[in-house]
Amino acid sequence: MNFSRKMAWRNYLVEGFLILASLLIILPLLIMIFGSFMTSTEVLKFSLRLPDKWIFSNYSKVFSEGGLGRAFLNGMLITGVSSILNIFTSSAASFILVRRDTKLSNFMYMFFFMGLIAPMSTITTIRVVQWMDFYGSITSVILIYASLNTAFSVFLYSGFIRSIPKALDEVAFLEGANTFDVFFKIVTPLIVPVNATVAIMVFMSVWNDITIPLYFLTDSSKWTMPLSVYNFYGKYSRDWNLIFADLVLTSLPVLILYLFCQKYIVSGLTAGAVKG
Amino acid sequence: MKISKKLYSYYLIWPALLIYSIFFVLPALTGLFYSFTDWRLDREAIKFIGFDNFERIFTDRTLLLAIKNTAIFAVVTVLGKNLLGIALAVGLNMKLKSKNILRAIFYSPSILSVLVISIVFTPMLRSDGTINRIFDAVGLHSLNQAWLTNPSIVILTVAAVSIWQHTGFQMAIYLAGLQSISKEYYEAATIDGAGSWRSFRSITIPLLLPAININLMLTLIGGLKVFSEVFVLTGGGPGNASQVVGTIILRSFGEGSWGLGTAVNTLLFAAVTIIAIPLLIFMRRKEVSE
Repeated sequence: MNFSRKMAWRNYLVEGFLILASLLIILPLLIMIFGSFMTSTEVLKFSLRLPDKWIFSNYSKVFSEGGLGRAFLNGMLITGVSSILNIFTSSAASFILVRRDTKLSNFMYMFFFMGLIAPMSTITTIRVVQWMDFYGSITSVILIYASLNTAFSVFLYSGFIRSIPKALDEVAFLEGANTFDVFFKIVTPLIVPVNATVAIMVFMSVWNDITIPLYFLTDSSKWTMPLSVYNFYGKYSRDWNLIFADLVLTSLPVLILYLFCQKYIVSGLTAGAVKG
Repeated sequence: MKISKKLYSYYLIWPALLIYSIFFVLPALTGLFYSFTDWRLDREAIKFIGFDNFERIFTDRTLLLAIKNTAIFAVVTVLGKNLLGIALAVGLNMKLKSKNILRAIFYSPSILSVLVISIVFTPMLRSDGTINRIFDAVGLHSLNQAWLTNPSIVILTVAAVSIWQHTGFQMAIYLAGLQSISKEYYEAATIDGAGSWRSFRSITIPLLLPAININLMLTLIGGLKVFSEVFVLTGGGPGNASQVVGTIILRSFGEGSWGLGTAVNTLLFAAVTIIAIPLLIFMRRKEVSE
Protein backbone atom coordinates (compact mmCIF):
# COMPACT_ATOMS: atom_id res chain seq x y z
CA MET A 1 0.00 0.00 0.00
CA ASN A 2 2.64 2.40 1.12
CA PHE A 3 4.90 1.25 -1.71
CA SER A 4 2.29 1.69 -4.46
CA ARG A 5 1.35 5.13 -3.15
CA LYS A 6 5.00 6.11 -3.36
CA MET A 7 5.06 4.80 -6.94
CA ALA A 8 1.96 6.79 -7.88
CA TRP A 9 3.45 9.94 -6.38
CA ARG A 10 6.62 9.42 -8.38
CA ASN A 11 4.61 8.92 -11.58
CA TYR A 12 2.75 12.19 -11.06
CA LEU A 13 6.03 14.00 -10.54
CA VAL A 14 7.54 12.54 -13.71
CA GLU A 15 4.38 13.25 -15.68
CA GLY A 16 4.26 16.87 -14.54
CA PHE A 17 7.88 17.37 -15.46
CA LEU A 18 7.44 15.78 -18.90
CA ILE A 19 4.37 17.92 -19.62
CA LEU A 20 6.40 21.04 -18.81
CA ALA A 21 9.20 19.83 -21.05
CA SER A 22 6.77 19.12 -23.88
CA LEU A 23 5.75 22.79 -23.82
CA LEU A 24 9.30 23.59 -24.96
CA ILE A 25 8.59 21.53 -28.07
CA ILE A 26 5.07 22.79 -28.70
CA LEU A 27 5.66 26.53 -28.26
CA PRO A 28 7.95 27.17 -31.26
CA LEU A 29 5.69 25.07 -33.48
CA LEU A 30 2.60 26.99 -32.33
CA ILE A 31 4.35 30.31 -32.90
CA MET A 32 4.89 29.17 -36.47
CA ILE A 33 1.32 27.93 -36.99
CA PHE A 34 -0.44 30.91 -35.39
CA GLY A 35 2.01 33.29 -37.05
CA SER A 36 1.08 31.94 -40.46
CA PHE A 37 -2.43 33.39 -40.01
CA MET A 38 -1.32 36.86 -38.81
CA THR A 39 -0.68 40.16 -40.54
CA SER A 40 2.94 40.97 -41.33
CA THR A 41 3.18 43.47 -38.46
CA GLU A 42 1.42 41.33 -35.89
CA VAL A 43 3.69 38.36 -36.51
CA LEU A 44 6.86 40.36 -35.78
CA LYS A 45 6.40 39.99 -32.02
CA PHE A 46 7.22 36.28 -32.37
CA SER A 47 5.41 35.50 -29.17
CA LEU A 48 2.78 32.91 -28.49
CA ARG A 49 -0.66 34.38 -29.09
CA LEU A 50 -3.65 33.73 -31.24
CA PRO A 51 -4.00 35.95 -34.30
CA ASP A 52 -6.29 38.98 -33.81
CA LYS A 53 -7.91 38.06 -37.06
CA TRP A 54 -7.29 34.80 -38.89
CA ILE A 55 -5.91 35.66 -42.32
CA PHE A 56 -6.27 32.59 -44.49
CA SER A 57 -5.25 34.46 -47.62
CA ASN A 58 -1.59 34.21 -46.50
CA TYR A 59 -1.71 30.64 -47.73
CA SER A 60 -3.12 31.34 -51.16
CA LYS A 61 -0.66 34.21 -51.56
CA VAL A 62 2.30 32.01 -50.68
CA PHE A 63 1.07 29.30 -52.97
CA SER A 64 0.89 31.55 -56.01
CA GLU A 65 3.90 33.79 -55.34
CA GLY A 66 6.20 31.06 -54.09
CA GLY A 67 5.50 28.86 -57.12
CA LEU A 68 4.68 26.11 -54.69
CA GLY A 69 2.35 24.13 -56.96
CA ARG A 70 5.19 23.26 -59.28
CA ALA A 71 7.55 22.58 -56.38
CA PHE A 72 4.96 20.30 -54.77
CA LEU A 73 4.63 18.20 -57.92
CA ASN A 74 8.42 18.03 -58.37
CA GLY A 75 8.79 16.95 -54.75
CA MET A 76 6.08 14.30 -55.09
CA LEU A 77 7.64 12.93 -58.26
CA ILE A 78 11.17 12.82 -56.87
CA THR A 79 10.15 11.50 -53.47
CA GLY A 80 7.63 8.98 -54.79
CA VAL A 81 9.80 7.43 -57.47
CA SER A 82 12.97 7.28 -55.40
CA SER A 83 11.07 5.66 -52.49
CA ILE A 84 9.52 2.99 -54.71
CA LEU A 85 12.82 2.32 -56.49
CA ASN A 86 14.58 2.07 -53.16
CA ILE A 87 11.99 -0.35 -51.72
CA PHE A 88 12.25 -2.73 -54.68
CA THR A 89 16.02 -2.77 -55.02
CA SER A 90 16.87 -2.84 -51.31
CA SER A 91 14.39 -5.54 -50.30
CA ALA A 92 15.41 -7.81 -53.17
CA ALA A 93 19.11 -7.36 -52.38
CA SER A 94 18.59 -7.88 -48.64
CA PHE A 95 16.69 -11.12 -49.26
CA ILE A 96 19.64 -12.66 -51.09
CA LEU A 97 22.25 -11.17 -48.75
CA VAL A 98 20.56 -12.67 -45.70
CA ARG A 99 19.72 -16.05 -47.24
CA ARG A 100 23.07 -16.83 -48.86
CA ASP A 101 25.13 -16.89 -45.73
CA THR A 102 28.50 -16.93 -47.55
CA LYS A 103 31.71 -14.91 -47.23
CA LEU A 104 30.82 -12.98 -50.36
CA SER A 105 27.33 -12.06 -49.14
CA ASN A 106 28.71 -11.03 -45.75
CA PHE A 107 31.25 -8.88 -47.51
CA MET A 108 28.52 -7.30 -49.64
CA TYR A 109 26.43 -6.62 -46.56
CA MET A 110 29.38 -4.67 -45.13
CA PHE A 111 29.86 -2.98 -48.49
CA PHE A 112 26.29 -1.68 -48.33
CA PHE A 113 26.62 -0.93 -44.63
CA MET A 114 29.55 1.41 -45.33
CA GLY A 115 27.03 3.68 -47.02
CA LEU A 116 25.43 4.27 -43.64
CA ILE A 117 28.75 5.59 -42.36
CA ALA A 118 30.54 7.27 -45.23
CA PRO A 119 29.57 10.80 -46.15
CA MET A 120 28.51 11.40 -49.71
CA SER A 121 31.20 12.81 -51.99
CA THR A 122 29.12 15.59 -53.52
CA ILE A 123 31.54 17.20 -55.93
CA THR A 124 32.58 13.95 -57.60
CA THR A 125 28.97 12.76 -57.70
CA ILE A 126 28.25 15.81 -59.82
CA ARG A 127 31.16 14.75 -62.00
CA VAL A 128 29.79 11.23 -62.43
CA VAL A 129 26.34 12.58 -63.30
CA GLN A 130 27.95 14.94 -65.81
CA TRP A 131 29.79 12.04 -67.44
CA MET A 132 26.47 10.24 -67.80
CA ASP A 133 25.15 13.43 -69.29
CA PHE A 134 22.10 14.07 -67.16
CA TYR A 135 23.33 16.65 -64.63
CA GLY A 136 20.52 18.95 -63.53
CA SER A 137 17.77 16.47 -64.35
CA ILE A 138 15.11 15.11 -62.02
CA THR A 139 16.16 11.57 -63.02
CA SER A 140 19.67 12.13 -61.65
CA VAL A 141 18.26 13.33 -58.34
CA ILE A 142 15.92 10.33 -58.09
CA LEU A 143 18.80 7.90 -58.66
CA ILE A 144 21.03 9.71 -56.17
CA TYR A 145 18.36 9.57 -53.47
CA ALA A 146 17.76 5.89 -54.20
CA SER A 147 21.48 5.18 -53.81
CA LEU A 148 21.89 7.33 -50.69
CA ASN A 149 19.08 5.46 -48.94
CA THR A 150 20.20 1.98 -49.98
CA ALA A 151 22.39 1.46 -46.92
CA PHE A 152 19.74 2.27 -44.33
CA SER A 153 17.06 0.29 -46.17
CA VAL A 154 19.25 -2.79 -46.58
CA PHE A 155 20.04 -2.53 -42.88
CA LEU A 156 16.32 -2.45 -41.94
CA TYR A 157 15.27 -5.16 -44.40
CA SER A 158 18.09 -7.51 -43.40
CA GLY A 159 17.16 -7.27 -39.75
CA PHE A 160 13.59 -8.17 -40.55
CA ILE A 161 14.16 -10.87 -43.17
CA ARG A 162 16.51 -12.67 -40.79
CA SER A 163 13.49 -13.28 -38.56
CA ILE A 164 11.48 -14.97 -41.34
CA PRO A 165 11.99 -18.76 -41.13
CA LYS A 166 13.96 -20.20 -44.01
CA ALA A 167 11.66 -23.24 -43.99
CA LEU A 168 9.09 -21.21 -45.90
CA ASP A 169 11.46 -20.77 -48.85
CA GLU A 170 12.52 -24.40 -48.68
CA VAL A 171 8.99 -25.65 -49.12
CA ALA A 172 8.49 -23.38 -52.12
CA PHE A 173 11.78 -24.46 -53.69
CA LEU A 174 10.78 -28.09 -53.30
CA GLU A 175 7.57 -27.30 -55.14
CA GLY A 176 9.73 -26.09 -58.01
CA ALA A 177 9.62 -22.34 -57.50
CA ASN A 178 12.60 -20.19 -58.50
CA THR A 179 14.18 -17.26 -56.63
CA PHE A 180 11.88 -14.70 -58.19
CA ASP A 181 8.73 -16.66 -57.27
CA VAL A 182 9.93 -17.10 -53.71
CA PHE A 183 10.82 -13.45 -53.37
CA PHE A 184 7.68 -11.98 -54.90
CA LYS A 185 5.10 -14.54 -53.72
CA ILE A 186 6.41 -15.48 -50.30
CA VAL A 187 8.81 -12.87 -48.96
CA THR A 188 7.22 -9.72 -50.37
CA PRO A 189 3.85 -10.23 -48.63
CA LEU A 190 5.65 -10.90 -45.35
CA ILE A 191 7.75 -7.74 -45.45
CA VAL A 192 4.85 -5.34 -46.06
CA PRO A 193 5.31 -3.73 -42.61
CA VAL A 194 8.99 -3.02 -43.33
CA ASN A 195 8.08 -1.73 -46.77
CA ALA A 196 5.85 0.76 -45.00
CA THR A 197 8.63 1.74 -42.61
CA VAL A 198 11.18 2.17 -45.37
CA ALA A 199 8.68 4.06 -47.52
CA ILE A 200 7.98 6.50 -44.69
CA MET A 201 11.62 6.93 -43.71
CA VAL A 202 12.78 7.47 -47.29
CA PHE A 203 9.83 9.73 -48.06
CA MET A 204 10.53 11.90 -45.04
CA SER A 205 14.26 12.17 -45.59
CA VAL A 206 13.91 12.91 -49.30
CA TRP A 207 10.98 15.29 -48.96
CA ASN A 208 12.73 17.28 -46.22
CA ASP A 209 16.17 17.43 -47.84
CA ILE A 210 17.66 20.60 -49.28
CA THR A 211 21.24 19.45 -49.92
CA ILE A 212 20.77 17.42 -53.10
CA PRO A 213 18.50 19.93 -54.91
CA LEU A 214 20.94 22.67 -53.89
CA TYR A 215 23.83 20.92 -55.64
CA PHE A 216 22.05 19.02 -58.38
CA LEU A 217 19.00 20.99 -59.53
CA THR A 218 20.42 24.03 -61.22
CA ASP A 219 17.10 25.02 -62.79
CA SER A 220 14.60 26.47 -60.28
CA SER A 221 11.62 25.05 -62.18
CA LYS A 222 12.75 21.61 -60.99
CA TRP A 223 13.10 22.55 -57.31
CA THR A 224 11.36 20.68 -54.53
CA MET A 225 9.30 22.41 -51.84
CA PRO A 226 11.93 23.00 -49.14
CA LEU A 227 14.36 24.57 -51.58
CA SER A 228 11.61 26.83 -52.95
CA VAL A 229 10.81 27.75 -49.37
CA TYR A 230 14.45 28.58 -48.76
CA ASN A 231 14.46 30.80 -51.81
CA PHE A 232 11.21 32.44 -50.70
CA TYR A 233 12.71 32.99 -47.23
CA GLY A 234 15.56 34.92 -48.82
CA LYS A 235 13.27 37.07 -50.93
CA TYR A 236 10.45 37.82 -48.48
CA SER A 237 12.60 38.19 -45.38
CA ARG A 238 10.26 40.83 -43.96
CA ASP A 239 6.97 38.99 -44.30
CA TRP A 240 7.26 36.40 -41.57
CA ASN A 241 3.56 35.56 -41.80
CA LEU A 242 4.13 34.41 -45.38
CA ILE A 243 7.35 32.60 -44.46
CA PHE A 244 5.52 30.73 -41.69
CA ALA A 245 2.68 29.83 -44.06
CA ASP A 246 5.28 28.53 -46.48
CA LEU A 247 6.89 26.41 -43.76
CA VAL A 248 3.53 24.96 -42.70
CA LEU A 249 2.71 24.07 -46.30
CA THR A 250 6.00 22.27 -46.88
CA SER A 251 5.52 20.35 -43.62
CA LEU A 252 1.96 19.19 -44.35
CA PRO A 253 2.77 16.18 -46.57
CA VAL A 254 5.10 14.57 -44.02
CA LEU A 255 2.76 15.47 -41.19
CA ILE A 256 -0.18 13.75 -42.91
CA LEU A 257 1.98 10.75 -43.75
CA TYR A 258 3.14 10.55 -40.13
CA LEU A 259 -0.41 10.72 -38.71
CA PHE A 260 -1.53 7.80 -40.85
CA CYS A 261 1.56 5.64 -40.52
CA GLN A 262 3.08 6.27 -37.10
CA LYS A 263 2.66 2.67 -35.94
CA TYR A 264 4.86 1.50 -38.81
CA ILE A 265 7.63 3.88 -37.86
CA VAL A 266 7.84 2.51 -34.34
CA SER A 267 7.47 -1.16 -35.29
CA GLY A 268 10.00 -0.80 -38.09
CA LEU A 269 12.52 0.87 -35.82
CA THR A 270 12.06 -1.93 -33.32
CA ALA A 271 12.53 -4.69 -35.87
CA GLY A 272 15.37 -3.09 -37.79
CA ALA A 273 17.36 -0.99 -35.42
CA VAL A 274 17.00 -2.65 -32.05
CA LYS A 275 16.76 -6.34 -32.87
CA GLY A 276 18.63 -6.28 -36.17
CA MET B 1 16.59 -30.97 -45.88
CA LYS B 2 19.22 -28.42 -46.83
CA ILE B 3 18.56 -26.02 -49.69
CA SER B 4 21.37 -25.22 -52.08
CA LYS B 5 22.55 -21.62 -51.78
CA LYS B 6 22.57 -21.42 -55.54
CA LEU B 7 18.79 -21.29 -55.53
CA TYR B 8 19.08 -17.77 -54.14
CA SER B 9 20.05 -16.08 -57.36
CA TYR B 10 22.44 -13.15 -57.20
CA TYR B 11 20.40 -11.39 -59.88
CA LEU B 12 18.19 -9.86 -57.22
CA ILE B 13 21.16 -7.98 -55.77
CA TRP B 14 22.15 -6.36 -59.04
CA PRO B 15 19.74 -3.39 -59.21
CA ALA B 16 20.60 -2.18 -55.71
CA LEU B 17 24.28 -2.88 -56.23
CA LEU B 18 24.39 -0.96 -59.51
CA ILE B 19 22.57 2.16 -58.28
CA TYR B 20 24.56 2.19 -55.05
CA SER B 21 27.91 1.60 -56.76
CA ILE B 22 27.48 4.17 -59.51
CA PHE B 23 26.03 7.01 -57.47
CA PHE B 24 27.69 6.46 -54.13
CA VAL B 25 30.78 4.26 -54.27
CA LEU B 26 32.20 5.43 -57.59
CA PRO B 27 32.10 9.13 -56.56
CA ALA B 28 33.72 8.20 -53.24
CA LEU B 29 36.57 6.41 -55.02
CA THR B 30 37.11 9.12 -57.63
CA GLY B 31 37.00 11.62 -54.75
CA LEU B 32 39.91 9.81 -53.16
CA PHE B 33 41.81 10.20 -56.43
CA TYR B 34 40.93 13.87 -56.98
CA SER B 35 41.84 14.88 -53.43
CA PHE B 36 45.50 14.51 -54.42
CA THR B 37 45.13 16.80 -57.45
CA ASP B 38 44.86 20.51 -58.13
CA TRP B 39 41.48 19.99 -59.84
CA ARG B 40 39.89 23.40 -60.48
CA LEU B 41 36.90 24.70 -62.38
CA ASP B 42 39.02 27.04 -64.51
CA ARG B 43 41.74 24.57 -65.44
CA GLU B 44 41.64 21.88 -68.08
CA ALA B 45 44.67 19.84 -67.03
CA ILE B 46 44.72 18.10 -63.69
CA LYS B 47 48.03 17.68 -61.91
CA PHE B 48 48.99 15.42 -59.03
CA ILE B 49 50.10 17.49 -56.07
CA GLY B 50 50.50 14.80 -53.42
CA PHE B 51 49.43 15.90 -49.96
CA ASP B 52 49.35 19.63 -50.71
CA ASN B 53 45.57 19.87 -50.28
CA PHE B 54 45.77 18.18 -46.90
CA GLU B 55 48.66 20.37 -45.84
CA ARG B 56 46.61 23.40 -46.75
CA ILE B 57 43.65 22.14 -44.73
CA PHE B 58 45.83 21.86 -41.65
CA THR B 59 47.41 25.28 -42.04
CA ASP B 60 44.39 27.31 -43.12
CA ARG B 61 42.76 28.88 -40.05
CA THR B 62 39.22 28.82 -41.46
CA LEU B 63 39.47 25.19 -42.47
CA LEU B 64 40.87 24.25 -39.07
CA LEU B 65 38.07 26.14 -37.38
CA ALA B 66 35.55 24.26 -39.52
CA ILE B 67 37.02 20.94 -38.41
CA LYS B 68 36.99 22.05 -34.79
CA ASN B 69 33.38 23.23 -35.07
CA THR B 70 32.32 19.96 -36.66
CA ALA B 71 33.92 18.05 -33.79
CA ILE B 72 32.25 20.29 -31.19
CA PHE B 73 28.88 19.94 -32.90
CA ALA B 74 29.23 16.15 -33.08
CA VAL B 75 30.25 15.70 -29.43
CA VAL B 76 27.63 18.10 -28.04
CA THR B 77 24.77 16.66 -30.09
CA VAL B 78 25.76 13.04 -29.36
CA LEU B 79 25.70 13.75 -25.63
CA GLY B 80 22.57 15.89 -25.73
CA LYS B 81 20.47 13.68 -27.97
CA ASN B 82 21.37 10.47 -26.17
CA LEU B 83 21.26 11.58 -22.54
CA LEU B 84 17.98 13.44 -23.05
CA GLY B 85 16.71 10.65 -25.32
CA ILE B 86 17.26 7.98 -22.63
CA ALA B 87 15.75 10.21 -19.95
CA LEU B 88 12.64 10.87 -22.03
CA ALA B 89 12.30 7.21 -23.01
CA VAL B 90 12.58 6.01 -19.40
CA GLY B 91 10.00 8.58 -18.31
CA LEU B 92 7.61 7.79 -21.14
CA ASN B 93 7.96 4.05 -20.54
CA MET B 94 6.32 4.49 -17.13
CA LYS B 95 2.57 4.16 -16.62
CA LEU B 96 1.59 7.76 -17.32
CA LYS B 97 -1.88 8.86 -18.43
CA SER B 98 -0.58 11.21 -21.10
CA LYS B 99 2.27 9.04 -22.37
CA ASN B 100 0.93 8.54 -25.90
CA ILE B 101 0.34 12.20 -26.60
CA LEU B 102 3.66 13.15 -24.97
CA ARG B 103 5.54 10.62 -27.11
CA ALA B 104 3.94 12.08 -30.23
CA ILE B 105 4.82 15.64 -29.18
CA PHE B 106 8.48 14.86 -28.48
CA TYR B 107 8.79 12.92 -31.72
CA SER B 108 7.05 15.49 -33.91
CA PRO B 109 9.90 17.96 -34.67
CA SER B 110 12.10 15.19 -36.04
CA ILE B 111 9.70 14.48 -38.90
CA LEU B 112 9.99 18.07 -40.13
CA SER B 113 12.69 19.42 -42.40
CA VAL B 114 15.81 20.85 -40.76
CA LEU B 115 15.10 23.85 -42.97
CA VAL B 116 11.70 24.42 -41.33
CA ILE B 117 13.03 24.19 -37.79
CA SER B 118 16.05 26.36 -38.55
CA ILE B 119 13.92 29.11 -40.05
CA VAL B 120 11.45 28.98 -37.15
CA PHE B 121 14.30 29.40 -34.66
CA THR B 122 16.01 32.25 -36.51
CA PRO B 123 13.81 35.10 -35.19
CA MET B 124 13.56 33.52 -31.75
CA LEU B 125 17.34 33.44 -31.35
CA ARG B 126 17.90 37.11 -32.16
CA SER B 127 19.08 39.50 -29.43
CA ASP B 128 15.53 40.88 -29.17
CA GLY B 129 14.02 37.48 -29.88
CA THR B 130 11.57 35.28 -28.04
CA ILE B 131 14.16 33.35 -26.04
CA ASN B 132 15.84 36.41 -24.57
CA ARG B 133 12.45 37.97 -23.85
CA ILE B 134 11.43 34.86 -21.92
CA PHE B 135 14.64 35.06 -19.87
CA ASP B 136 13.84 38.72 -19.16
CA ALA B 137 10.30 37.88 -18.14
CA VAL B 138 11.43 35.33 -15.55
CA GLY B 139 14.22 37.56 -14.24
CA LEU B 140 17.13 35.69 -15.79
CA HIS B 141 18.35 38.69 -17.74
CA SER B 142 21.96 37.57 -17.27
CA LEU B 143 21.33 34.55 -19.51
CA ASN B 144 20.59 36.79 -22.49
CA GLN B 145 22.84 36.14 -25.44
CA ALA B 146 23.32 37.13 -29.04
CA TRP B 147 22.76 33.46 -29.83
CA LEU B 148 23.54 33.53 -33.53
CA THR B 149 25.98 36.44 -33.73
CA ASN B 150 28.31 35.78 -30.81
CA PRO B 151 31.21 33.90 -32.45
CA SER B 152 32.17 32.03 -29.31
CA ILE B 153 28.79 30.36 -28.77
CA VAL B 154 27.22 30.23 -32.22
CA ILE B 155 28.14 26.60 -32.94
CA LEU B 156 26.66 25.59 -29.58
CA THR B 157 23.43 27.39 -30.48
CA VAL B 158 23.23 25.45 -33.73
CA ALA B 159 23.89 22.22 -31.80
CA ALA B 160 21.13 23.10 -29.34
CA VAL B 161 18.62 23.58 -32.15
CA SER B 162 19.61 20.20 -33.56
CA ILE B 163 19.22 18.57 -30.14
CA TRP B 164 15.81 20.24 -29.76
CA GLN B 165 14.68 18.84 -33.09
CA HIS B 166 16.06 15.31 -33.10
CA THR B 167 16.08 14.06 -29.50
CA GLY B 168 12.59 12.67 -30.10
CA PHE B 169 13.92 10.33 -32.78
CA GLN B 170 16.54 8.95 -30.40
CA MET B 171 13.82 8.67 -27.75
CA ALA B 172 11.74 6.50 -30.12
CA ILE B 173 14.61 4.05 -30.63
CA TYR B 174 15.31 3.93 -26.87
CA LEU B 175 11.60 3.33 -26.20
CA ALA B 176 11.63 0.43 -28.65
CA GLY B 177 14.68 -0.93 -26.82
CA LEU B 178 13.09 -0.52 -23.39
CA GLN B 179 9.95 -2.32 -24.48
CA SER B 180 11.94 -5.36 -25.50
CA ILE B 181 13.26 -5.75 -21.91
CA SER B 182 11.24 -8.30 -19.97
CA LYS B 183 9.47 -6.96 -16.84
CA GLU B 184 10.57 -10.06 -14.92
CA TYR B 185 14.09 -8.72 -14.54
CA TYR B 186 12.79 -5.68 -12.70
CA GLU B 187 10.47 -7.74 -10.54
CA ALA B 188 13.34 -10.01 -9.55
CA ALA B 189 15.52 -7.01 -8.80
CA THR B 190 12.82 -5.41 -6.64
CA ILE B 191 12.42 -8.62 -4.65
CA ASP B 192 16.19 -8.66 -4.13
CA GLY B 193 15.87 -5.15 -2.73
CA ALA B 194 17.36 -3.14 -5.56
CA GLY B 195 16.30 0.50 -5.77
CA SER B 196 15.33 2.18 -9.01
CA TRP B 197 18.77 3.65 -9.67
CA ARG B 198 20.38 0.26 -9.09
CA SER B 199 17.85 -1.40 -11.46
CA PHE B 200 18.51 1.26 -14.06
CA ARG B 201 22.26 0.76 -13.90
CA SER B 202 22.32 -3.04 -13.67
CA ILE B 203 19.36 -3.98 -15.86
CA THR B 204 18.25 -1.13 -18.10
CA ILE B 205 21.62 0.09 -19.34
CA PRO B 206 23.14 -3.34 -20.18
CA LEU B 207 19.99 -4.58 -21.92
CA LEU B 208 19.61 -1.29 -23.74
CA LEU B 209 23.11 -1.59 -25.24
CA PRO B 210 21.95 -2.47 -28.78
CA ALA B 211 19.78 0.67 -28.84
CA ILE B 212 22.56 2.74 -27.27
CA ASN B 213 25.00 1.56 -29.92
CA ILE B 214 22.78 2.27 -32.87
CA ASN B 215 21.88 5.68 -31.45
CA LEU B 216 25.49 6.60 -30.72
CA MET B 217 26.41 5.67 -34.24
CA LEU B 218 23.51 7.50 -35.90
CA THR B 219 24.02 10.68 -33.87
CA LEU B 220 27.79 10.66 -34.26
CA ILE B 221 27.73 10.11 -38.00
CA GLY B 222 24.89 12.59 -38.43
CA GLY B 223 26.80 15.11 -36.32
CA LEU B 224 29.96 14.85 -38.40
CA LYS B 225 27.92 15.25 -41.58
CA VAL B 226 26.12 18.38 -40.33
CA PHE B 227 25.27 20.85 -43.06
CA SER B 228 21.69 22.10 -43.36
CA GLU B 229 21.37 23.50 -39.82
CA VAL B 230 24.46 25.66 -40.26
CA PHE B 231 23.61 26.59 -43.83
CA VAL B 232 20.16 27.93 -42.88
CA LEU B 233 20.77 29.31 -39.38
CA THR B 234 24.07 31.13 -39.92
CA GLY B 235 25.46 30.40 -43.36
CA GLY B 236 28.75 29.71 -41.57
CA GLY B 237 28.86 33.13 -39.97
CA PRO B 238 29.32 35.50 -38.30
CA GLY B 239 32.53 35.77 -40.29
CA ASN B 240 33.55 32.14 -40.41
CA ALA B 241 32.73 31.43 -36.78
CA SER B 242 30.28 28.60 -37.46
CA GLN B 243 31.79 27.03 -40.57
CA VAL B 244 31.67 23.23 -40.54
CA VAL B 245 33.08 20.67 -42.94
CA GLY B 246 29.78 20.50 -44.83
CA THR B 247 29.64 24.26 -45.50
CA ILE B 248 33.32 24.34 -46.44
CA ILE B 249 32.65 21.73 -49.12
CA LEU B 250 29.81 23.83 -50.53
CA ARG B 251 32.08 26.88 -50.49
CA SER B 252 34.94 25.17 -52.30
CA PHE B 253 32.45 23.84 -54.83
CA GLY B 254 31.18 27.38 -55.41
CA GLU B 255 34.70 28.76 -55.72
CA GLY B 256 35.61 26.03 -58.20
CA SER B 257 38.42 24.64 -56.06
CA TRP B 258 37.19 21.09 -56.49
CA GLY B 259 40.41 19.30 -55.58
CA LEU B 260 40.49 21.00 -52.19
CA GLY B 261 36.77 20.34 -51.68
CA THR B 262 37.13 16.63 -52.33
CA ALA B 263 40.17 16.54 -50.03
CA VAL B 264 38.03 18.00 -47.22
CA ASN B 265 35.43 15.33 -48.02
CA THR B 266 38.07 12.59 -47.95
CA LEU B 267 39.20 13.79 -44.54
CA LEU B 268 35.60 13.66 -43.29
CA PHE B 269 35.28 10.15 -44.72
CA ALA B 270 38.43 9.04 -42.90
CA ALA B 271 37.34 10.62 -39.63
CA VAL B 272 33.86 9.08 -39.71
CA THR B 273 35.21 5.64 -40.63
CA ILE B 274 37.90 5.63 -37.96
CA ILE B 275 35.39 6.55 -35.29
CA ALA B 276 32.53 4.34 -36.48
CA ILE B 277 34.41 1.09 -37.16
CA PRO B 278 35.08 0.21 -33.50
CA LEU B 279 31.40 0.83 -32.73
CA LEU B 280 30.44 -1.39 -35.65
CA ILE B 281 32.73 -4.23 -34.58
CA PHE B 282 31.32 -3.98 -31.09
CA MET B 283 27.79 -4.25 -32.48
CA ARG B 284 28.61 -7.23 -34.68
CA ARG B 285 30.15 -9.01 -31.71
CA LYS B 286 26.98 -8.39 -29.70
CA GLU B 287 24.94 -9.93 -32.50
CA VAL B 288 27.07 -13.07 -32.54
CA SER B 289 26.92 -13.56 -28.79
CA GLU B 290 23.14 -13.23 -28.67
